[in-house]
Amino acid sequence: GERKEEEEPGAPEAPSAGKSRGTGAAAGGWAWGVVFHFFLVNVLVMGMLKTFGIFFVAFREEMGGSSEQVSWIGSIMSSLRFLGAPLVAVVCRRLGERPTSIVGAGLVAGGCLLSTQATSVPFLCFSMGFLLGMGFACLYQAAAVMTAKRCRARLAFCNALARSGMGLTFLMAPFTQLLIEAYGWQGTLLIFGGIMLNLVPSSMLLRPVSTRLPRESAQNQHRGSSVAKKDPETPGGCLDGNTPRELQLHRAQEAPTTETPPGRDVSDPANPSALGRLQEPTPESSSWETPTEAKRSHKPLAASRKEPAQPLLDFSPLKDPVFFIFTWSFLFSHLAYFVPFFHLVARATTLGMSSRDGSYLIAVAGITETLSQLLSGWLADHNWTKKYHFHVTYLLLSGATSLLGPLATSFPLLLACTAAFAAFCGGFMALVLPVLVDLVGVEKLHSYLGFAAFFAGIAAMGGPPLAGWLYDYTQTYACSFLFAGACALISPISFFFEPSAQKWKLKKANL
Amino acid sequence: EYEIVLSGVSDTSLEKNISLASPTKVELTCKLDENSNLKNPQVTWKRGSETISHTSKTQNSWTIQLTISESSQLGSYSCILKGEKEVSATFHLHVPKIEGKEKRIITYEGDIAVMVCKTEYNPKAWTWYMTNGTELVPINTFLHTDKFQIQRHSDSENRLKILKLTKEDHGVYWCEAVFELGSSKGSFELKVLSITAPLKPFIAVVAEVAILVTTIVLYELYSKKNRKGGEREFDQIEQL
Repeated sequence: GERKEEEEPGAPEAPSAGKSRGTGAAAGGWAWGVVFHFFLVNVLVMGMLKTFGIFFVAFREEMGGSSEQVSWIGSIMSSLRFLGAPLVAVVCRRLGERPTSIVGAGLVAGGCLLSTQATSVPFLCFSMGFLLGMGFACLYQAAAVMTAKRCRARLAFCNALARSGMGLTFLMAPFTQLLIEAYGWQGTLLIFGGIMLNLVPSSMLLRPVSTRLPRESAQNQHRGSSVAKKDPETPGGCLDGNTPRELQLHRAQEAPTTETPPGRDVSDPANPSALGRLQEPTPESSSWETPTEAKRSHKPLAASRKEPAQPLLDFSPLKDPVFFIFTWSFLFSHLAYFVPFFHLVARATTLGMSSRDGSYLIAVAGITETLSQLLSGWLADHNWTKKYHFHVTYLLLSGATSLLGPLATSFPLLLACTAAFAAFCGGFMALVLPVLVDLVGVEKLHSYLGFAAFFAGIAAMGGPPLAGWLYDYTQTYACSFLFAGACALISPISFFFEPSAQKWKLKKANL
Repeated sequence: EYEIVLSGVSDTSLEKNISLASPTKVELTCKLDENSNLKNPQVTWKRGSETISHTSKTQNSWTIQLTISESSQLGSYSCILKGEKEVSATFHLHVPKIEGKEKRIITYEGDIAVMVCKTEYNPKAWTWYMTNGTELVPINTFLHTDKFQIQRHSDSENRLKILKLTKEDHGVYWCEAVFELGSSKGSFELKVLSITAPLKPFIAVVAEVAILVTTIVLYELYSKKNRKGGEREFDQIEQL
């Protein structure tokens, strides 16, 4: 009974329904559209990253160059996806998610097409590494933030649903192989360029959430400040409470997304411009909720949005302790997730299993992870406790499983260990975005996500060499599991500081 | 200097491949594993149906020494151990094989095709052939300098470059490396596609994208027109 119309993704898709009455349903429909787009982004982006290995072989043959040089292309592509995030966050805030996403799709398609003309490795580094990497960053950032904006009540489940696209990427490998055998790598890249262009119409599904006339914005700003007076417990926009009133007011809080300059916390009671526009008394404004919502969700893109001058690069996340808490956890959890799967097949072969068994392990891991993501997302959405408690639990469990990993020396044991580890990994991966949204709210999501992704990118760049170095140093893959377990156990430590960090922020805001 | 260790348990025959480029002396040894069940077997060395006598023998190893000086002496030499069961091992002596390419090489019209022929040792000479029906026609680079180029990348690697590809250039090409003890061949299959081949699926996908984009844009314009009326009503209500 507490679910608002807009966030009900279960509403039937009815874009041509009646104007005011059908808006709830239509808005729900758009949420599904956003989830679908994010799903497609996951499939295509991760698919491209994973099939790079197949192109690697073709590039080496065609252009010579050492294996290290050619692998730079792949490294640039996958690391720019994270490292480009702060820049993309800025662009997103300026242009909006939809144009950014279209630009991202264009970059990816253009990069693919340009690469067909490549004759040397440095050329490919630019056309495939740089252009594709930046395009992926654009697509990812826009889709993630849009999902957070649209699916408020069921964010964890929607996020998990979209991420399950990564599970489908195993189809991309044989498909790519087929194309390369039929058309050579140039023809394959040409066709991929076309396929990536599909992200343009799906990006158009990212309809802007908050578009309104100036008078509405006055109402909403006022509501924003009244929220501040009434709800001092939600400084960072924590969406934990479930009373309808609070949810409605928070929805209004979300409305001044583009109006409020960054760095200005909505909980700031000394909000001068909002105070200045105090016109209608509060109860009346809440009765305008539904029609205003309706108008907001159906404003076409052409409607202008008033944006006060924003600083180009918002560094406020770097001053926020909550950001460090999140990034610390994000960094270590990514390392923990990534390293074991990298070495899983190698470990299996050292234990005497065939490579067939190894690929079977990977397949099982992929399927388990996808299923557990969905389950974890669905579970977390019930809001029985704060989402990050689930996140911490999964991290601790996956750390424990990974530490027990070296004990698995036979195929059934290794299979069980892999399945358990993948299940817990899926659990915490699905909650990364919802936890961030819980901690900082949707307004500032762009900058926070941008910087968090940047630091995660640095970790991701160091991941493969670190894993390789671990093996070289210890001459056994068992260490990778111990390392991953240690990372997974270190990562939730920062969350124990979360309550005190929130109090610190509140004190600072009240000064 | 080549050895195979037999366990005497399974019936599977063990094999070893030895590449020889120039005349040399080889020693082939069959050794019996200490833990095997076979005791004091009778050992014969054979090449085809011809029996060869041992050169040397110890308690559980039997060796023959061969001087390979011409290609007729290459082939498969096997040692057969007869006891309760019979086990055998085979040494295959041959000229170095050429690493060709089993998969087709896909190229486009007007592009350049490069075929790389690699082998372990340094051959005396390299020859490239193209197939004309069932005949192998050697490629004369001096006759067609603007079409074919042969580059000696290193002593053990040779490259054939075909410029200005056309559809007629498709087919099988052979690379032959000549050693003192014989020659070996490797094949490459070239397939020449026209640019339109991958272009067709590409255009199909782009057309689909264009249709989707147009549909969405039209839908948005349509809903914008419908909304405009509703908005004006709302504004009036607000002003009351």
